[in-house]
Formats: sequence, C-alpha cells, structure tokens
Amino acid sequence: MFRLSPLRLGTLALLLAAATGAAFASGFAGLEMLTEILILAILVIALDMVAGFGGMVSLCHGALMGAGAYAFAMAGLSLGLPVWAAMLFAVLFTGAVGWIVGAICAGSQGIYFIMVTLAFGQMGYSFVFESPIFGGDDGLAGLARPDLSALGIDLNTSRAFALYCLAALVLVVLAAAQILRSGLGRALVGIRDNERRMRALGLTVWRTKAHLFGLSGMIAGVAGVLAAQHVMYISPGLLAWTVSGEALVVVILGGLGTFVGPIVGAVAFVVLRHEVSAITPYWHLVVGLILIAVVMSRANGIFGFVEDRLSRMSARRAARAAAPRGEPHDA
Amino acid sequence: MLEVRHLDKRFGPIHVTRDVSLRLEPGERRVILGPNGAGKTTLFNLLAGELAPDAGAILLGGRDITAAPVAERARQGLARSYQKNTLFDALSVAENLGLAAAVATGAARSILRDCLAMPEVRETVREVAARLHLSPHLDATVSAVSYGVRRQLEVGLALATRPRVILLDEPTSGIGPEMAHGFHHMLASLPRELTLLIVEHDMDLAFDVADRITVLNYGEVVFDGAPEEARNSAMLKDIYLGSWENA
Repeated sequence: MFRLSPLRLGTLALLLAAATGAAFASGFAGLEMLTEILILAILVIALDMVAGFGGMVSLCHGALMGAGAYAFAMAGLSLGLPVWAAMLFAVLFTGAVGWIVGAICAGSQGIYFIMVTLAFGQMGYSFVFESPIFGGDDGLAGLARPDLSALGIDLNTSRAFALYCLAALVLVVLAAAQILRSGLGRALVGIRDNERRMRALGLTVWRTKAHLFGLSGMIAGVAGVLAAQHVMYISPGLLAWTVSGEALVVVILGGLGTFVGPIVGAVAFVVLRHEVSAITPYWHLVVGLILIAVVMSRANGIFGFVEDRLSRMSARRAARAAAPRGEPHDA
Repeated sequence: MLEVRHLDKRFGPIHVTRDVSLRLEPGERRVILGPNGAGKTTLFNLLAGELAPDAGAILLGGRDITAAPVAERARQGLARSYQKNTLFDALSVAENLGLAAAVATGAARSILRDCLAMPEVRETVREVAARLHLSPHLDATVSAVSYGVRRQLEVGLALATRPRVILLDEPTSGIGPEMAHGFHHMLASLPRELTLLIVEHDMDLAFDVADRITVLNYGEVVFDGAPEEARNSAMLKDIYLGSWENA
C-alpha cells in the first residue's frame, strides 16, 4: 500500500532543496542538465504509478510523452490556441490516449502487456514519422514557452525555465501522491497484488486500470509539454521506444514502486550520462553494467536498497532494545 | 434468494456438472457435501462467474445473472471465499478488510479521498474484525499471521462486502478441530438474513450449521434434504464409506 514514510518525505525534501540550490547556483550547462532531470523525473513518476503500483509495465510512456509534446505543438501552431490553453489541451489529450491504451491493454498481463504497449508506442511513432502534418522526420519548430512577464519572470532564461520545471515536478509529485493515496490508487495496488480477488470483491478491474493509465498519461503529457518547451522543437524521436525503455531503466535503477526512487533514478541516470559520456562514448555500457549490478543485487533499486537497509537496522535496534539485559541475541 | 436451474458444464469429455438444480431461500444455510472430484468447487466457480456454464441458468434474488461477469455478481450481493487463501499478503489485515469494504461501498472509485480512512469503511472493518475475532491482528501483515487467522480473514473479505449470499469454499480446510469448532460457532452466529452456501468436508460443520444438505457425486445432485435425513441415508453412507458414522 502507498505510504509516504518519513524516509520518503525526507528524501523528497532533500531533493527539492538540492534542485532549488542547483537552480540558483548552476551555470548554463548545469541548468540544462537540471531541466533534463526534472522532465525525466516527471515521466518516470508517471511510469512508476502504473508499473510500480499497478504492475502494468508499460513500454509506451515515451510515446505518451511524445503525444503530449505533439498535441501541444499542434494546438499552438495549427489551432492557434494560446500557450496555456495548448498546454491544457495537450495534457487532456494525452490523458485520453492513455485511457484508451489502458482500457485496451487491461485484459493482458506480464509480457503480453509489455508487448501490446510497445506496439501502441511504435504505432504512434510510425504515424508521426510518416505524417506530413507533423513535419515528418524534420519535426516541428518554433514552439512557445508561456509568457510570465506579467510576474516579472522571463521563461526564456535557463534558470527561470528550470525553476518552472521544478514547480511542475512539485505539482506532479503532489498529484501522484494524492492519486496513489485515493480509493482508486488503493484499488490499483489491490489489483497488482491479487487481481482475481479484486474482481471477486466487485471491482471492474479494466476500468480501474484504464483510469490510472489515463491519469499516468496526463502526467506523461506534462513531461511532453515541458520537453517541447525546453528545446522549442520536437521530432518523432520523442516517441521512440528507446525513450520508454530508458524511462523503465530509470524506474528500476531508482526503485520500482517506491515513489521517490524513480526521481533518485532520474538524477543518477542523467548525471551518469553527462559525466560518463564526457569520458567515453560508450556510456550506455557503464549504465548497463550498473543496472545489471542493481538487478543482480536483488535490491529494489538505489532507493529500495537504502529503505531495506534502514528498515533492517531499525528492526535490529528494536530487537536489541526488547532483549533482556545480559542475554545474548541473534544479530 | 439463489436459484440454479439445470446447470451443466463439461471440460472436454469430462462432465463435471450434470443438470444441477438448487434453490436457496433467503437466510438459508445450505451445505454441499461430496467426495473429492464431485464437482463442488466447479459448481462454486460457475455460481461466482469464474466459469461459464454450457447450459442452465443462475438467478440471484429473481434476477438472471448467468451471463453477468464476476464483479457484477459481487455487486449484486454474491460474495465468495476460496478454498485456497486468496488474500492481499503484503497488506495488513485491516487493509485487506478495508479494501473489500471500499470496493463494495464504491469508495475505491474515489480519486479525492483515501478509501481506507472513510468512516463507513472503518466501521465495516471494525465490525467484521470483531465478529471474526480478528481485532487483535488488524495491524499485522497477512504474511505474518497464522494460517488459522488467514482462513478467518478469507471469510472476512467476503463478509466486508456486505453481501446477500456468501459462497464459502471449505472454510475450515487445514485448521485444527478447536478452531474449526469456533468457526462453526461464528458461522451460526452470522445475521440470519444472510444466505450461506458452504462446500465442506467436515461433517460436524455440515450437521451443526446446515438447514439443508445437498450431496454431489460425479457432478450431479444425488441427495437434497434435511441434515437428519442425510444422516440416515444409506446411499450417502455408501458414498462416504460410512465416514459420517463418527459425525
């Protein structure tokens, strides 16, 4: 069941403080890296909601993020909607796409679920790649960032944009926590643990899965909008299955179903990519080796490992305190 | 309350349910007996909707639910427990009961509120836990409680949905005689308006709890009558090789 333990809350507070500090202290390169982390964190929170808490391992979240980016671009460029309206449209559109994908995939499980979501992702990628209205391989340029000049904020600076992404991440974290703590979120965890019993209790399982996939899609849509605004240009590459695969790697690296872990994973992944790629072009090899080590260690990612260690330590401390004085006890 | 008309089911060449008809009145406690392989669990799976019959009809409160999916039957008031524990092992006993109550009340559909904190859900958890003597274990994780407690919780999940009819599949399987006796007492003390259909091997339970006994053999009903009639039936003694001489 979803819980915001003191460790999770403390880690979130630490990450928030670190991100705020980095936003004010970093130069251009640091701010670009921070923005990349923040957008990836939003995407992996969306993925962790369905994969970690719902057992629905999706390989189409990259495509959902891409759908959000393209919906934002088309709403602004073709429909002429103002930026905020285009953002809202994009998030709702991605939520609707996510709901439909979730509803269709709800009947399949395990490897079949992964394959069906991969197929949806590839369909989206091919459609965007082949369609001239989406700019084909060339993509779409000239995307706008919101105008906050009335508040004295120029979002065209890297610092302001990083802080804007941080604010979005904070809102996403609050929304995701609320969803996972709600009746719908509790039902999702019940489905993950025992789908047959949830059905026998009277739950319409496919609908619950579809709702959660839709909400997760909305969050992926937010990541897509921010990604589009970040570089002010989008291409079909955003929808590629490798984006979904990378997001899944980040979730596993950080800790599947730990809520905070995927954010930690996003930090580790982006920092590793930047630092290791400066030394060698084979940075994928290094990340791959680290992922293998994490999986082989049977720890639930970086954050899962820390959580497990701390809970064992506190259990040992409690056992020591409960043991009568002078009596030996097992470690 | 629950009516089964000429239910039939085959798995390939094996005829597991043969023209079974039953009629349970509101508040009735019916026990289904039968040797291993008699088709008792298959009948339960047909009633709960986990299997589709080849022929026949199932009516709940006069409404035909033969084609209704599992969840719809549960929402209509048909709850079930399983022969093999089917619980949420990683959750606490209270969370298990709360989840069941939340699904039944519709609280599990809320996106704004924590269903486990809702007063109606908490009240159901408290009430069911008290009835099944689960109150001392509410905070314990299911994987950490004894097998007997898990069997009680198995029934508790069904009860927490506030059903009209409960199908109990061998509720005392695997527990000791003392605990089984407590189980009989608990089942007998359930609200009288609740209709119970129980598959059981334990003859004591059958004679303690049942208003009526139905016996299945090779998928068909071979006896349907009062417990005393069953006790004196020579045919049933043959089926069970005299095993209820001790009952």
